Amino acid sequence: MQHLDHDRLVFLALGESEADDGEARHLDACAHCRAEVDGLRHVAGLGAGTQGLGDLPDPPEHVWQGIVAEVAAAEALPSLGDRRAAGPPETAPTPANGAARPGGAGGRRRRLPRWAVTAVTAAAAAAVGVVGTFAVLSGSADEPRPPERVVLASGALTAYGTTPRDANGDARVFTDNQLHLHVANLPAVPGYYEVWLIDPATMRMFSVGVLNSGTGDALLPLPPNVDLRTYSVLDVSAEQYDNKPAHSGDSLLRGTLTG
Amino acid sequence: MTAGVTVGHAPRKANRPVTAVQQEPEPPPQDDLAERFRAGDEAALRQAYDRYGRAVLHLATSTLANRSDAEDVTQATFVAAWLGRDTFDPSRGSLIGWLLGIGRRKVVDRLRASARENRVVETVRQLPDPAPTGPDPDTVVDRLVVADELARLPDDQRRMLELAFYDDLTHQQIATVTGVPLGTVKSHIRRGMASLKRRWEVDGAAPGPRPAGLPGAR
Repeated sequence: MQHLDHDRLVFLALGESEADDGEARHLDACAHCRAEVDGLRHVAGLGAGTQGLGDLPDPPEHVWQGIVAEVAAAEALPSLGDRRAAGPPETAPTPANGAARPGGAGGRRRRLPRWAVTAVTAAAAAAVGVVGTFAVLSGSADEPRPPERVVLASGALTAYGTTPRDANGDARVFTDNQLHLHVANLPAVPGYYEVWLIDPATMRMFSVGVLNSGTGDALLPLPPNVDLRTYSVLDVSAEQYDNKPAHSGDSLLRGTLTG
Repeated sequence: MTAGVTVGHAPRKANRPVTAVQQEPEPPPQDDLAERFRAGDEAALRQAYDRYGRAVLHLATSTLANRSDAEDVTQATFVAAWLGRDTFDPSRGSLIGWLLGIGRRKVVDRLRASARENRVVETVRQLPDPAPTGPDPDTVVDRLVVADELARLPDDQRRMLELAFYDDLTHQQIATVTGVPLGTVKSHIRRGMASLKRRWEVDGAAPGPRPAGLPGAR
């Protein structure tokens, strides 16, 4: 069967003319041409709705300030991708922009640009959050800690099941049995996020705690006698306030901790 | 804010009469912003925001009733995009398409959350169903994607399509208005439409080409 001319399909889709009898018969019979016309017609409808989209108003300045503050807060935390404890200090001074390669060895952590630091200082509310988190992670004055904690185990967390693929995270366990989690882009849930450690051989598990946000960092204590070689899978689930303390079965992120 | 050529501020989009194009914007649309963004170049975050912040905010404001929710969603979209930039694959779609996809999910999450809140309130107060708010997020995303592609088309194609879309002119009328031969008008429009459709199939809200009979709207 000979398909209709593409010119003709565009013509029909834009309502330039009616299909003649032969064309109408063809469109009735030919799913390919019909789909093409429908698609073109839909796109023409979208096109007609684009008027004015070239002159949209700027977002208010505080939106940008908020982005900078949140990004700075997230990146100020020690990145989990770094594994600084392992290996020699490969973090030679990073060359400026031009040389940065996608997926380069330096990992995603980078020095904060000056604008970020300034903006954080300016954005008071957010800055309080940053300082607070920092204090937790670096140890407060009355509880001195070595500046670099030793990482016992770590792993990347990836979207599980039907979770949107941009959800991700990183986990690491320090020798003082603190679990540092960084998560990003978890989908909103009606209840809350709960963190689990799972033994993949038996699927036995226990709950480590909850996260207070779908993007951000958390520091959770682990039992001092936990065997991370057994409970090696870290899982973040969506839980409901349903009087059921067990895992909901709705895992959002998972990853394996390795030492 | 710096100028760029895309949705949000395509400064050269002709307003109606197809007169001289206003200032040509500096950066070409096909530059390396997407790659630099993915590579973690902080300047690229600002540039992406300058180019696409308006489009993301538009998506949020036209679908969410509450202005501050819309600004929150815009902020959260760029933060999530930056922190999750490793997951952006430029070979699978454009940066604006990816950003709008993140924004769309956040809008949908908000809409669901407020629907739940409304249900709670209704149960308590026996309120009638609130009228549904703005347009469907998928349609807004699709329009923004098409508008972005329209802004990238060669001038002639864009002008002809704008006359057809906005002024509802026939091809013959466009030929008369512009003084361009009818055959040339048709070929510009055909090529322009093909580009818009291809772009919509790549970057539209529903991934991939749509099956026949389901033109986008859900």
